[in-house]
Amino acid sequence: MDQIGASLRELHEMDELALRRSPVHGLCPLCKLIVTVTFIVTVVSFPKNALTALVPMALYPVLLFQLSGIPVSACFRKLRLVLPLVLAVGLLNPFFDRAPLLRVGEVTLTGGMISMITLMVKGVLCLTAAFLLAATTPIDALCAALRRIRVPETMVTLLLLTYRYVGVLAEEAAVMTDAYSLRAPGQKGIHISAWGSFLGQLLLRSMDRAEELYAAMLLRGYHGAYPHAGTKPCVPKDAAYALCCVAVFLLLRRYDLARLLGSLFVR
Amino acid sequence: MHMADALLSPAVAVTMYAASGAAAAVSLKQLKMDDDVKRLPVMAVTSALVFAGQMINYTIPGTGSSGHLCGGMMLSALLGPQAGFLSMITILAIQCLFFADGGLMALGANVWNMAFYGCFVGYYLIWRPILHSNLFSGMEQRKTIRARIILASIIGCVVTLQLGAFSVVLETSLSGITELPFGAFMALMQPIHLAIGLVEGLITAAVLVFVYESRPELLREVEDMEHHDGKRTLKTTVAILAALAVVVGGGLSLLASSNPDGLEWALFGNAEAGYAENMGLDEEDFGVKSGIADAAASIQEATSFLPDYAFPDSESAAGTTVSGLVGSAIVAGVAVLISMLGGFFRKKNAKQH
Amino acid sequence: MIEMEHVSFAYETGEPVLNDITVSVGDGESVGLIGANGAGKSTLMKVMLGLLPHEGRLTVDGLEVEKNNLAAVRRSLGFVLQNSDNQMFMPTVYEDMIFAPLNYGLSREEAERKADAVLERLGLTKLKNRYNHKISGGEKRMAAIATILVMEPKAVLMDEPTSALDPYNRRVVINAVRELRQTKLIASHDLDMIRDACDRVLLLSGGRIVADGPADTILRDRALLEAHRLELPLSLQNRTSNSALGQQSGKHRTASKRI
Repeated sequence: MDQIGASLRELHEMDELALRRSPVHGLCPLCKLIVTVTFIVTVVSFPKNALTALVPMALYPVLLFQLSGIPVSACFRKLRLVLPLVLAVGLLNPFFDRAPLLRVGEVTLTGGMISMITLMVKGVLCLTAAFLLAATTPIDALCAALRRIRVPETMVTLLLLTYRYVGVLAEEAAVMTDAYSLRAPGQKGIHISAWGSFLGQLLLRSMDRAEELYAAMLLRGYHGAYPHAGTKPCVPKDAAYALCCVAVFLLLRRYDLARLLGSLFVR
Repeated sequence: MHMADALLSPAVAVTMYAASGAAAAVSLKQLKMDDDVKRLPVMAVTSALVFAGQMINYTIPGTGSSGHLCGGMMLSALLGPQAGFLSMITILAIQCLFFADGGLMALGANVWNMAFYGCFVGYYLIWRPILHSNLFSGMEQRKTIRARIILASIIGCVVTLQLGAFSVVLETSLSGITELPFGAFMALMQPIHLAIGLVEGLITAAVLVFVYESRPELLREVEDMEHHDGKRTLKTTVAILAALAVVVGGGLSLLASSNPDGLEWALFGNAEAGYAENMGLDEEDFGVKSGIADAAASIQEATSFLPDYAFPDSESAAGTTVSGLVGSAIVAGVAVLISMLGGFFRKKNAKQH
Repeated sequence: MIEMEHVSFAYETGEPVLNDITVSVGDGESVGLIGANGAGKSTLMKVMLGLLPHEGRLTVDGLEVEKNNLAAVRRSLGFVLQNSDNQMFMPTVYEDMIFAPLNYGLSREEAERKADAVLERLGLTKLKNRYNHKISGGEKRMAAIATILVMEPKAVLMDEPTSALDPYNRRVVINAVRELRQTKLIASHDLDMIRDACDRVLLLSGGRIVADGPADTILRDRALLEAHRLELPLSLQNRTSNSALGQQSGKHRTASKRI
C-alpha cells in the first residue's frame, strides 16, 4: 500500500543525489546531456550479437559512478519500469534463434542466447547512463540545457512547474491513501468503489490549487513570459570532457577492444 | 508500455522523435499559449496530478493485481487534446530526464505510443463523437451523459492502448531488435494491453464521472453538448461501431489465448515455458511467413541505415568469439579495479574531513 | 494607502460575501483582520488585489483597482498566501525570489542583488539554493514572505502567516512581521499574533465590518468577540473563567467605533 511513500522517497532521493558535489556534478549540463545521448545511441547501434564488443562500453558508467560517488544500488531500482518489455522481447530470442554460435568447453551458446544477453546488457547500460545524468544534474540545470538546445520556452516552463507540483500532489495523495488504508484494513490498494472519488477529489482540489497558483503568479507580475535564472557557461574543461567521451565511444564502436585485448593472449 | 532505449534502433528512435516533435509543435501553435496565460499553471498542476495518480494502486476486484493510470484520455478530456498532449509529454519527459524511468532516446517513441494516441485519436475519434452521439438518449439527461462518459472512457482507453501496443511491436520489429516474429509479438502484446486498457478505462471513467457530477464545467465537451444534443451522423456511428469492433475483437483474442491476465504472467511465467507452445502455435510457420512480417522485414531492410541491423545470420554474426570473451574478462577486471580505487579514494577523503 | 467605499462582492450565484464595506488603511499602519471562518477575510484581500471583481469604490495607493491599473496595484501590494506551496512555484527558493523582479523588468544582476539583500535581512541566506519541496514548513513560510518583500511593495497583505507553525517558527514569523516597515494587513485566527503585531483591528462578520478600533480595545472585548464566534486571545484569558462560547451577552461594552 505504501507505494506512494516509496515513490516519494525515490523522488527526494534523486534530488539529494543531484545536489551532491563531485567532479561529475560540476560539469556543464549541456555537455553531460550530449555525452549521455551519444553513449546511448552508440550502445544501441551495436550489432545484436556483438556482446563482447559492447563490454568495454560499461567502463563509462563504472567510471562515472566512481567519480560521482552515486551509489549503484539507487540505479537498480529504476530497472523495474523499463526492463519488463526488454525481457519480454529478449527472453524469447533463444527459442527462435537456435543456431550455435560459440562453443566454450561443453557449453554451446546459440545466437538467440547471445542476442538475448546483448539486448539486456544494452538495456542496463542505457538505463545507467540516463540515471547518471539525472542523478548528477539538478533539474534547473537540466532545464537550462534544454533551453540551450532550443526546446520551446513553454515546454521547459511546463516541465519546471509540473516538477514542482509532483512532489506536492504526491504528498497529498500519500496522506489520502494513508487515511484510506486506516479505514480499510487489509486492502492492497484503492477499491473499485472509490476509484472515481479518490482521484477525483484530488483532481478538484488540484484545480483549486491551480487557481491559487495562478493568482500567486499574477500577483508577482506574471504576464505569460517566465523569467529564468542564469546558467553557468560551458568552460573549455566541459567541452574537452564531451569531445573525449564522444571520441572514445566512436572508437569503441569501430574497434572491438575486447577482441583486440583478448587476441594478445589467445590465438 | 514504457519502451527502453535498447528496444529501438537509432533510425526508428529519430523518426519517432520527429513525429512526436511535429505533433508537439503543431499543438503549441494551435494552443497560442501566450493568449491565455492561465493555461500554463492549470496544465502543470493537472500533469502533476496525473503523475501522482500513477503512483496510486487501484485494486482490481477478483484478482490479486492492481491497475494503473496512464492518463492520456483523462488529460485530453480535461484540457483538450493539444494541451493534454503537451501535458503527457511533460510527464514522460520528467520521468525519463529526472528519474531515468523510460529511455532518453526512446522518449519520442514513448510520447507517440502513450500520448499521441490517447490524446488525439482518443479525443477526436472516440471521446467527442461518443459524447455528441445520441447513444443512451432515452434516459434522463444526467444519466445519458454519464453513460456516454463511461462508454467513451473505456473504449477510448482500450483502443488507444491497443494502438500504443501495436506501435511498440512495430517499432521494435522495425528496429530489428527481436527474433520474435511480428505476428507472435503482436499476439503477446495486444491481449495484455487489452486487460490493462480495460482497467485504465474504468479508472478514467470513474474519475471523469466524479468530475461531471461535482463540477461539470471542467469537462470541455459536456459544456457545448448540453446546448446542442443528439446529432448523430453516420460517420460518428461508423466510428463508434469500428471502435466497438476492436474492443470485442480484442476481447475474443484474449479469451482465445486462454491467457487469464496480468503482464507478469505473460512475461515471466509463460516465457520460460515456451510461449509459442502455450499459445498453441507452431513456431515454424507462425508469423514468420505472414505477409505482414515480410512487409515489415522489407521496410526494415529499406530503412535501417546500419547494415548490421538486417538480421545477420548467426554464423556470420559480428562479434562473439573466444578472444572477445577473454578481452571482456580483462575489461571487467579493469572495471573492478576502478571501483576499488574509487572506494579507496573516497574513504581517504572521508578520513581527511 | 487602501481606501474602500461601499465595496461589495458576490459570486454569480449566491449571497454577497462582502457587503458594503467602507474602510481606510493609512500609510504605515499595521491592521489585523479577524473574523470567524467564512467571514470574508480572504475575499476582502483578493478584492483589494483585483483577483475578484467588486462594486463600489476601491483605491490602492491612489490608484483605482480596475483592469488597466492592475499591474501597478499589484506591484504596490504584496500578498503572502496561506499555503506557501502555492506561493512558491519555482523549483528553488532563489528562482522564486527573482521571479517577480525579473517580471517587473529588472536586470538579472539587480534582481539577484535584491534577492540576496532580502535573504540576508531575514537571515535566510542558507536557504538560497534549496529546493522548495525540501525545506521545512517554517522555512517555507519565511521564504514565501521573502519572495514578496523582494518586490519592495508599499503594503503587505498576509493570509494566516502563522498557521501550522511550531511555537519557535511562529515567533520567527511574528518578529519578521513586526520589523516590516510597510503598511500591513494581516488576516488571522491567531489573535495573540494580531495583538503582538498590529495596532488596529478590523472585525469582519458575515461580509461586514462590525468593529474597527485599536487592537488593545477590540481584542479585550470578550462579549464582542464571542458574539462573532471568536475568543479572547489566550494571553488575555483568565484561567479561572474559561470563556464559554455561545453565551453571548447582548451588550458590547467597548470604546471602539461600531459600524
